[in-house]
Amino acid sequence: MNFHVIGRKTIRKDALARVTGAEKYASDIYLPNMLHARVLKSPYPHAIVKKIDTRRAEEIGAIVITFKDVPGRLFCPRLVSTPDATYKDWKVLTDKPAYVGEPIAAVAAETEELAQKALELIEVEYQVLEAVFDPLESMKEGAPKIHEKILLNDRVINVENNIACKLELEEGDLEEAFNKSDIIIEREFRTNKGYHNQLEPKVAVVNPEPDGGITIWCTTQTIHNTRLLVSEIFNIPVSKINVKKLALGGGFGSSIQTNIVVPIAVALALKARRPVRLAYTKEEDMHEHSSFQMIFRFKVGVTRDGRLTGGYMENIMDIGAHQIQAYPLLGTCAGWWVSLYKLKAIKYIGVAVYTNKIPSCAYRGYGNPQVTWAVETIMDELAEMLGMDPIEFRLKNYVGEGDLFWGQGPTVKSVIRSCGVEEILRKGSELIGWKNRPKPGEQKGRYRRGIGIARGYHTSSAGSPIPSQVIDYSGAILKVNEDGTVDYITALIDQGGGTLDAHAKIIAEELGLPLKNVNIVSADSQTTIYDVCTHASRGVYAGGGAALNVARQVKKKILELASNVLNAYPHTLKIRPDEERGQAVIYVEGVPGKEITLGELATLARIKNWGTIAAVESFRPPACPPHFTGYFVEVVVDTETGIVKPLRVVIGADIGTVINPELAEGQLHGGFMMGWSRAILEDLRYSKDTGDIECKGFIIDYKMPTSKDIPEEITTFFVETYEPTGPFGAKGLGEGAQNPAIAAIANAIYNATGIRFYELPITPEKILEKIREKEKREPMKVVAEKLIDE
Amino acid sequence: MNRGEFMRADYINLVNTHIIPIEFTYHAPETIEEALKLLREYQGQAMVIAGGTDLIVDMKLRRKEPKHIISLGRIRELDYIIEEDSGIRIGAATKLRSIEKSRIVYERFEALHLAVKSIASIQVRNMGTLVGNICNASPAADSAPPLLIYEAIVTAQNLEGARKILMKDFFTGPGKTCLRNDEIVTEIFIPYPPRDSTSSFLKISRVGMDLAKVNIALLLKFNSNVVEDFRIALGAVAPTPLRILRAEEYLKHKPVNEENLRKVEEIVSEEIKPITDVRSTEWYRREVSKALVRDALNIAVNKVMRK
Amino acid sequence: MIEVTFILNGRLVKIQTEPNITLLDLLREELRITSVKRGCETGECGACTVLLDDKPVNSCLILAPMIDGRRILTVEGLTKDRELHPLQESFIEEFALQCGYCTPGMLLTSKALLDLNPSPTIEEIKEALSGNLCRCGAYQQIINAILRASEKLRRRLNYKP
Repeated sequence: MNFHVIGRKTIRKDALARVTGAEKYASDIYLPNMLHARVLKSPYPHAIVKKIDTRRAEEIGAIVITFKDVPGRLFCPRLVSTPDATYKDWKVLTDKPAYVGEPIAAVAAETEELAQKALELIEVEYQVLEAVFDPLESMKEGAPKIHEKILLNDRVINVENNIACKLELEEGDLEEAFNKSDIIIEREFRTNKGYHNQLEPKVAVVNPEPDGGITIWCTTQTIHNTRLLVSEIFNIPVSKINVKKLALGGGFGSSIQTNIVVPIAVALALKARRPVRLAYTKEEDMHEHSSFQMIFRFKVGVTRDGRLTGGYMENIMDIGAHQIQAYPLLGTCAGWWVSLYKLKAIKYIGVAVYTNKIPSCAYRGYGNPQVTWAVETIMDELAEMLGMDPIEFRLKNYVGEGDLFWGQGPTVKSVIRSCGVEEILRKGSELIGWKNRPKPGEQKGRYRRGIGIARGYHTSSAGSPIPSQVIDYSGAILKVNEDGTVDYITALIDQGGGTLDAHAKIIAEELGLPLKNVNIVSADSQTTIYDVCTHASRGVYAGGGAALNVARQVKKKILELASNVLNAYPHTLKIRPDEERGQAVIYVEGVPGKEITLGELATLARIKNWGTIAAVESFRPPACPPHFTGYFVEVVVDTETGIVKPLRVVIGADIGTVINPELAEGQLHGGFMMGWSRAILEDLRYSKDTGDIECKGFIIDYKMPTSKDIPEEITTFFVETYEPTGPFGAKGLGEGAQNPAIAAIANAIYNATGIRFYELPITPEKILEKIREKEKREPMKVVAEKLIDE
Repeated sequence: MNRGEFMRADYINLVNTHIIPIEFTYHAPETIEEALKLLREYQGQAMVIAGGTDLIVDMKLRRKEPKHIISLGRIRELDYIIEEDSGIRIGAATKLRSIEKSRIVYERFEALHLAVKSIASIQVRNMGTLVGNICNASPAADSAPPLLIYEAIVTAQNLEGARKILMKDFFTGPGKTCLRNDEIVTEIFIPYPPRDSTSSFLKISRVGMDLAKVNIALLLKFNSNVVEDFRIALGAVAPTPLRILRAEEYLKHKPVNEENLRKVEEIVSEEIKPITDVRSTEWYRREVSKALVRDALNIAVNKVMRK
Repeated sequence: MIEVTFILNGRLVKIQTEPNITLLDLLREELRITSVKRGCETGECGACTVLLDDKPVNSCLILAPMIDGRRILTVEGLTKDRELHPLQESFIEEFALQCGYCTPGMLLTSKALLDLNPSPTIEEIKEALSGNLCRCGAYQQIINAILRASEKLRRRLNYKP
């Protein structure tokens, strides 16, 4: 296809604001006469507040709220699933904290210093309860009960054995499948509890309006769901709540749900009748959200000729103290598993378990990186047992074009229409030198190199042909200005990847506009139509679909009006970008002089009272097409220290039509860095002594890679496919960019050392321990001996 | 900089890194004399601040709550690196970054140069000082092992006068030194290492900018293929940075060969007393200490050969 | 209250403040210089980096009185007469930013590097940036941008009459 802007190198529209410091994030919003808020947090992992005395705090002029001052009805902060699939166990402030850091009360005062003082003057008497930090312990009889009653939609349900929710699936005859298998492998995997570590801590600024309404500036991946949730909690009409769209200093899933700072700041602002700013510190932010932590048990069968037969998967998810829609994750984990490789029969048991830990939420990949790590480890092991090349084994079994894909659990499925898996694996293996990789475990010497491969994918949106348990649609408004530019108005949040630039290019392409003529204008929940959320790698695919469809509508109107002016049939008119005039020009091919610029047309439309050329589009994506990625990672392991370093990384991706090649490449780089971090570094370990995370919220002890930790070389490539359901053939990328990274790194470590690791993160401590178990420490040649010889 | 450690039980509501949630009076004396007077006047309630990179975090975390802060920032006479016949003198207000960039440190005290370069980020090194690094007395302080092997001498002053403290006597426990609360460290003197000796510094950490899981500095001098002088110190493996005299004694007058190296490694792993904490485990620290001993020795030997 | 006088982006500022106010607070809360970002506020992430007398420092770890009589540069001061600094241009051209939250700090650290070392090696760049975290993982693009800016600066110098 010959595009005039799509696929071409164009600079980011938001780049200028970002390099000049002019970009406004929620944390940069200051209102006149604003109060500063602080939150009183539980120092115990499980307790009951017996008494709370706020008088001394109020005496110094602070506005104070406790659990007594907020609506008591349970809610769920994430509104992506349909209500019938949504469990609710949250309160804005609680009298029964279930993790260290859970909000009990909050204060607002003239300065942050005063707010801090007021906070310290609140007296609380706790009855400390027994706490549980392990999901297996938590499910046992006699374990402390974390929740008694919760809601499923509006129905009260009793919580048994701390099980938050469950999902079981079965397809085909698994027993028969295993009977027909020549090899059956059983493995258990344990993942880590990760922290998103987005640089911008969560913040909310709330202004109570004179009419009883409120305006909110906050860190969010969804302005509309924020407004719906605030309406639900505080019983304020949705139309009276306005949530502003701002730049977001990183999300990675941590603001799919409405962050707790929002309802707390709203409650304070409503009480104070003044604007309130509640900005979390980094250490508070780390106590606000984290990833789910899973224990997987797999049993997979394969025939001698390398065909997978059937599989069993058990997924015990530690979700922490509250549900942030853990239920759909039980479904997606099953989906990520069955959509990687073809299995004739499956059985899946997913259990989400409460523990006295920080609540878990989506974290780039929504369970996919973890599931892919387990599955791709097993695939490597099976290939080795079968004596097959791991790549050929994968190619023999993968789910590809024409197969059914589970984009977001068992209720969101569509047929794969574009697939570049084979090309990714073939080209990637050539680039990394797959054929020359070492044999696992055969290397001697201190430094051992290894090459690992893993493939994966992620869904693009949660669209599907039929209604599901996941809400997924997007909205766009487009209007033509008298200067020939268009204003694009969308609620969709850009997490940083440049999603809105892709939208602008889609619009420019469809309308024949120079890219600079597409304005991405400021927006809020009042001036936009609904977009569910920036998650599920849906920004370019679903949001871009809305942008394309709204542009099509506008194009139709442009052509209709132009046909009057140019006296030609609308369907014969064409539009081209005229760089000289800096305008789109509508013209009749082959008839000189029959042309008009878009600006002239819009101006004429005003003077002649034809009305504004504009359109609105609410768009439901018809499918959930997977974008595919393949990772090839070369590492070196120091067998004396267990330290692993990345040497070369090759990443191939099929994202359909590539709209912004440089930004897409950036996603792959970022995906690797985050995957690296999650594979070898990150873990929110809990201390039994304090009941808190060991690092206590300080990133000095929750490390992420620095500029010095990047691989020596990262090569990326995109294979050419075209997604028929996507805007100009495009699919998503944000999550697939990372998903197979952990698996490829783990497989590379195996290739170097001959040791498999079934627990994340794979730290130097664990590696060295296994190496020492496996082999004796070899004498290393000391250079000094030479000195003596001479 | 053990920021996660030594916190009060109710820290979760006391810590606020947005602000410094305590109040204090700030003093910016222009002479040492003036600073010492202030320290005496507010004895027990005052803390001395040089770069501030540790103390400010400690205050945000409520680990330290001084009523008075005495800044050395305006005392110009404390910012220097002076070369003398027998060694160099580094003033208390001298930034880590200046030491890292110092030619004489690079040429004569390579272990110190490398150690300073490995401390935190450039931003922190532009603010923090060497004296601050040791006064904070972290068991993992990167500058401590080099200062131990170079046998540095700390000058501490109070109103009565100055006293010299040998580096080996300076640290008394995690976060603790032998300084009295009316004393200010004004200078560190580092004697030149023996002619023809070489030194090295190594560190194992989680990422490119980090505190040490283990760090090591050593000094080596040969005399016709046997070791004439050997000094070795490790950090983050005991309550204080540790010089391993038994290993030093063992290797003296011996050749560096596999057998002797093994023995040195063994002694080191016996002498250290590592713990398991948020950064690493006791076992790992003990185990990699051996590799670090070997690597650091290798580097030093290599340098001798190149000379 | 104490009075602090300093030069901010070439402009003299005199301000009354408390001694327990950090430079980061002073810039953001009092002077509304919001390009200086709040990140970890413990000297780890570099989002609050400013140049103090041309050297990068973490403004979260500096007490307001410590800057009396000194010079502060923030990203607002990088642009001269609406003309972008070559580093700013290069960050745009090399796609060296995603969410943009680390960008102001990255730019200032990079400026200090190029001011002292106009032709840094990749290793020197990595070393210089190690106190500025980027969770979007754009390190490679940022390194490319600094290399490009270095070339731009060199060309500029060469063209000088």
